[in-house]
Amino acid sequence: MVAPLAAAAAEAVAQQVPRRFGTKQIFLPNHIIAFIRPNPRQPPNLATFTVPLQFNKLDLRDYLYHAYNVEVTAVRSFINQPAPRQKFGNRGKWYRPRSKKMMIAELVKPFVWPEPPAEKDRDAFDHGIFKKMQDERDKQVQRQSKRGQIPRRTWGSQPEDRLALKEQAAAFLKDGGWANGLKTEEDDGEWAEVDQEEQI
Amino acid sequence: MASAAAAALRPSMSMGAAALGRLSSSTGTPLLRPLLPLTQTASLSTSVALLKRHTYPGARSNKDANKKRGQSALRRSGTRWRLSTTDEPLPQPVPRDQLPQIETDPDHGLWDFFPSRETVANTPEEDAKHGRSWSVEELRGKSWDDLHRLWWVCVKERNRIATGNWERKKSGLGFGDAEATERDHEVRATMRAIKHTLTERFYLWEDAVKVAETDPEVDLSGTGPPFTPKTYLEDVEEGAEGAEGAEGKAEEGQAAEAVQETTEQKAEEPAAADPATIPATSKAPTEAPRL
Repeated sequence: MVAPLAAAAAEAVAQQVPRRFGTKQIFLPNHIIAFIRPNPRQPPNLATFTVPLQFNKLDLRDYLYHAYNVEVTAVRSFINQPAPRQKFGNRGKWYRPRSKKMMIAELVKPFVWPEPPAEKDRDAFDHGIFKKMQDERDKQVQRQSKRGQIPRRTWGSQPEDRLALKEQAAAFLKDGGWANGLKTEEDDGEWAEVDQEEQI
Repeated sequence: MASAAAAALRPSMSMGAAALGRLSSSTGTPLLRPLLPLTQTASLSTSVALLKRHTYPGARSNKDANKKRGQSALRRSGTRWRLSTTDEPLPQPVPRDQLPQIETDPDHGLWDFFPSRETVANTPEEDAKHGRSWSVEELRGKSWDDLHRLWWVCVKERNRIATGNWERKKSGLGFGDAEATERDHEVRATMRAIKHTLTERFYLWEDAVKVAETDPEVDLSGTGPPFTPKTYLEDVEEGAEGAEGAEGKAEEGQAAEAVQETTEQKAEEPAAADPATIPATSKAPTEAPRL
């Protein structure tokens, strides 16, 4: 519950909010407005929205009040202009993606967003496969961007038996103690140079 | 102005020209000292301006631009103006994690941007749980208020889908784009059907006006009664009710019905066109109607 003091303060501010709206009536609006998760240190009385490019601050204030019953004291607006890019990644015609208009509304009543689900709770979104695919795509982009480099075998993941062999070899080299159960000539064993007794 | 300020700073100056410095205590008359911070220990510079002001036309500007003339750090002369200082202790900053937690109002309107209080983006499974869109046939019988409400339900649902899409992408939740797009298509189909219905209704009204212009029973001037049915039509209607077999009469009856329908449409239209910008129910909904 909101503390009574805070509620009273919010009410006092709400009474000061000028409720003068435009006179033009729009019956069937076709705008899409998305509510954006705030940045980590953004105060809870600021709410960010993406709005159509033709929207202005008064439009958003009017929209939020009439459609969502949300009081707003002020609105800030800015446009994010994307960088030019090529149609197919690194080839194709250059174009600039459409700009995105964002607005930050100062709310009378603060709004705290729910936390996003933890990575282990994202099974419903198939997060595991999604992450794998994303990583693979990133790698591919990296590979495409560095075309001169020949990928080494060691860059990729190695099979488990290979890794086990490597580990074993390292242990032998460090500790010694390798034996295959056969005797050499010095040990009076069966091993001898073959070409010593050979008659030429 | 400067002398007045100096006098305000040093009331002893106003006592006499000879009384320079802190002589006020030695004069015997108790003076009300102004409430000043005791930084000023020596008198201000009393040197006269040596430079003569050139006033002839075309003279160079020799204005004294030094605003701090007369103040000396060595002589501890202090500033000429009162500094805005206060004795109040400054509040200590509180770390962010120790601030009181802000609770969101459970009736906050912005909750309508989310499918529920806990989730911002629907899971693909939840997104796929939707029926079909409204068809034009179903909407033809609906009033303007119903259609308008349904339109706003659609608008809010599309906002909800857009919010979920953004959240899924930016927070890297996972898959679900296809399901959300499919849901959005259904909502858009409903909106298209609403516009289709309204357009049809408008064309019907236009046709009705055209028919009414040539109809002798309908008066479009707006002065008299708009519809004065002929008496024989009523007779025919009664006769038609009595004997349904009579073809000619039945046709006339149908014509009368058609005329009545058009006039009813005409009577309905002004009421339907009555501007109700926002449905009253969308004012403060605790739970917005879901599609």
